[in-house]
Amino acid sequence: MNILKAKSITLPNGKTVPVKRSKTPLIIVVLLICCYYSVQITGFNLQVLTKRIGQFWVILVDMVPPNWDYISKLWKPLFDTIKMSLLGSILGAVFALPLAYFASSNMSKNKTVVVATKFILSLLRTLPTLVAALIATFIFGIGTTAGTIAIFIFTIAYIGKLLYEQIENADLKAFEAMQSMGHSTVSAFRYAIIPQILPNYLSNAIFCFEGNVRYAAILGYVGAGGIGLMLNESLGWRNYANVGMILLLLAATVFIIETISEYIRKKLL
Amino acid sequence: MIKFQNVEKKYDNGFIALNNINLTIEQGEFVAVIGLSGAGKSTLLRCVNRMHDISSGSLFVNNVDVSKLKGKQIRKLRRGIGMIFQSFNLVNRISSFKNVLVSFVPDMPLWRKILGVYTKQQKIGALEALDRVNILDKAFIRVDQLSGGQQQRVALARTLAQNPSIILADEPVASLDPITAKQVMTDFQRINKELNMTIVINIHHVDLALEYATRVVGIRSGEIVYDGPATEVTNEILDHIYNGKLEEELKGN
Amino acid sequence: MDIIEKHLLKEPKRTVQNVITAVIVIVFLVWSLTAIDLSNFTSNGLAIAQNILHGIVTPNTELLFTFNKTGVPYLLLETMAIAFLGTIIGTILAIPLAFLSASNIVPKPVAFIIRLFLIFVRTIPAIVYGLMFIRVTGPGPFAGVMTMALVSIGMLSKLFVDIIEDLEVNILESLESIGCTPFEKIRYGIIPQLFAMFISVAIYRFDMNLRDAAILGLVGAGGIGAPLIFAMNAYKWSEVGSILIGLMVLILFVEFLSNKIRNTIVRG
Repeated sequence: MNILKAKSITLPNGKTVPVKRSKTPLIIVVLLICCYYSVQITGFNLQVLTKRIGQFWVILVDMVPPNWDYISKLWKPLFDTIKMSLLGSILGAVFALPLAYFASSNMSKNKTVVVATKFILSLLRTLPTLVAALIATFIFGIGTTAGTIAIFIFTIAYIGKLLYEQIENADLKAFEAMQSMGHSTVSAFRYAIIPQILPNYLSNAIFCFEGNVRYAAILGYVGAGGIGLMLNESLGWRNYANVGMILLLLAATVFIIETISEYIRKKLL
Repeated sequence: MIKFQNVEKKYDNGFIALNNINLTIEQGEFVAVIGLSGAGKSTLLRCVNRMHDISSGSLFVNNVDVSKLKGKQIRKLRRGIGMIFQSFNLVNRISSFKNVLVSFVPDMPLWRKILGVYTKQQKIGALEALDRVNILDKAFIRVDQLSGGQQQRVALARTLAQNPSIILADEPVASLDPITAKQVMTDFQRINKELNMTIVINIHHVDLALEYATRVVGIRSGEIVYDGPATEVTNEILDHIYNGKLEEELKGN
Repeated sequence: MDIIEKHLLKEPKRTVQNVITAVIVIVFLVWSLTAIDLSNFTSNGLAIAQNILHGIVTPNTELLFTFNKTGVPYLLLETMAIAFLGTIIGTILAIPLAFLSASNIVPKPVAFIIRLFLIFVRTIPAIVYGLMFIRVTGPGPFAGVMTMALVSIGMLSKLFVDIIEDLEVNILESLESIGCTPFEKIRYGIIPQLFAMFISVAIYRFDMNLRDAAILGLVGAGGIGAPLIFAMNAYKWSEVGSILIGLMVLILFVEFLSNKIRNTIVRG
């Protein structure tokens, strides 16, 4: 294939300039091929979609008006969901800190520890939260404990990765100065690195909490407690007015939490 | 040739930016326009290629009455006039080469415009333009990785590729350090001599204006208060143009 | 009182603020602790945990290397296809929405309404979308594609808006001075700025979609989720192990690749 090979242009004044070939056409061709096979594999069919899209609205229409009476039964599960995400996020963020320390190549001097910690963190990150929740329900029984564990695991992995990337990119000048004053590595980390990464760390933790609330709504589906349980129930009974109520409540909650978290994060950064 | 005849420019808010401007610039001149910030230098320049409309009077560029042009004719006028900006105005995420190629776009057939496919002739033209400002080796480097001076040269190459008869430069060296500024001014001077392009340049740095330009136009509150050879500009004249505020103006930059 | 003491008194006192923050955090923590209920946790749980671990380290290799429609490789391929097509459709839908909600392009009220709409799009969980689309397409990966597309819209358009609002507009002035028409200004002034960043965001979302694709299995919208959940509910831990291993390897590989591509795109 000479499509990737460089060619050159000779200017009238005799200079020769090698020209990089644009990769754009190649990328577009690859994308089109991927699209074609994806369509084949998934059975995507635009005609069916346009013809039957009316069916899409049926459930949505049934959700309106939402069943307002149902709300009295929703408060406890809703707070369960918030508790799950809150506890999972706080614990996850706290435990992520030592892990991130060990995973940073500029902090821990033992290479094996660095590689092993990084590997564990990325393994935890690939474990779908839903699967983690399902496994947790087998071990801890059905209920909010399982959900909390799943969120805890996800949070450790997510915050841990962002944190060690930050530590590795942190300015080490103050850290070296502290060490030269006789601080231990950990104590120099505490006084030189933590102040640098703290605002971002807290901001990430809050952002993660926000996402976890949204996600916790799904966890109930596998028996991990919270409002997802009610969602599962109502969907099972095809009581879409109840579903509408749940979604409305959830939207409001997420909106409130997002607003608060955005306010706090702005103050932090 | 650029010819202003009793040109007046009044902004919508009633501010008179240019008042009774009479100015003739012959082909191949190197003119520096100096004056305080807000004196009307930018407005003057932007009237030439109809980035601004004039309110009254008439303005001829190569014997065409600019104020009477419409839509497509304005774009045709602009094809023959290059413009350089203080902030370079390049697309940062693409290479210098592609930035220069953009100057050919308005003359391309529609399908080429949509796909962004250039002819070999155009590619050679773009590279030649880059060569002319001595940054041929940076042709395939992304613009955001170049220094300010190099970026301004890419902008200059983009203008050269358009092969204009006039280049308007609006504070081209204001965001460059003194040494780079001199190099860019030298580029302008060379282009002016080698290609006989008219160059009209707005500039804060009086010393650079006097060193490189052949003719100086001083503007104060929208009126021309000096017009003559750069060699004849005295301190009294500068004082008059800058209303005695030259020191402040220089400090401000 | 000497000058040192005077300055000591001037030290900014944040004690009150710190105490209040600490109290709030502790109250929330204690409150949320009530979510933990270990009464269901029995020795049985430990045994199950052991079984799961054992199953994962001794995966069902037959399932892992079978290349027909029930084998792990095909399921992974199907999951990738769902995530890929879902991301593409999501991107196509998100671009106009992003432009319509960028406050530097459309009037503020329009932007506000579209943003409100996007909040609602984002709040509906994937499961509900899945059920809605199954009515349209029937169960299977097709429904999964559409679900992925809709759940992607929220994040994609939010990130797209940030990019659009960061656009450098002074390039448009110089294109105008060259004599470009509005179409040429968009094609050569705006698209080159947006293109690379949009692609980078889309790749990132593809990565996420691949992780989230397991959810689709809950409602029968195709992908690897359903076999995984069936295997778990049937306590076939070695099958669970082989599916999880396949999924993790795929996700790690795609993540590695996507980081690499995104770095080249953004840094050039």
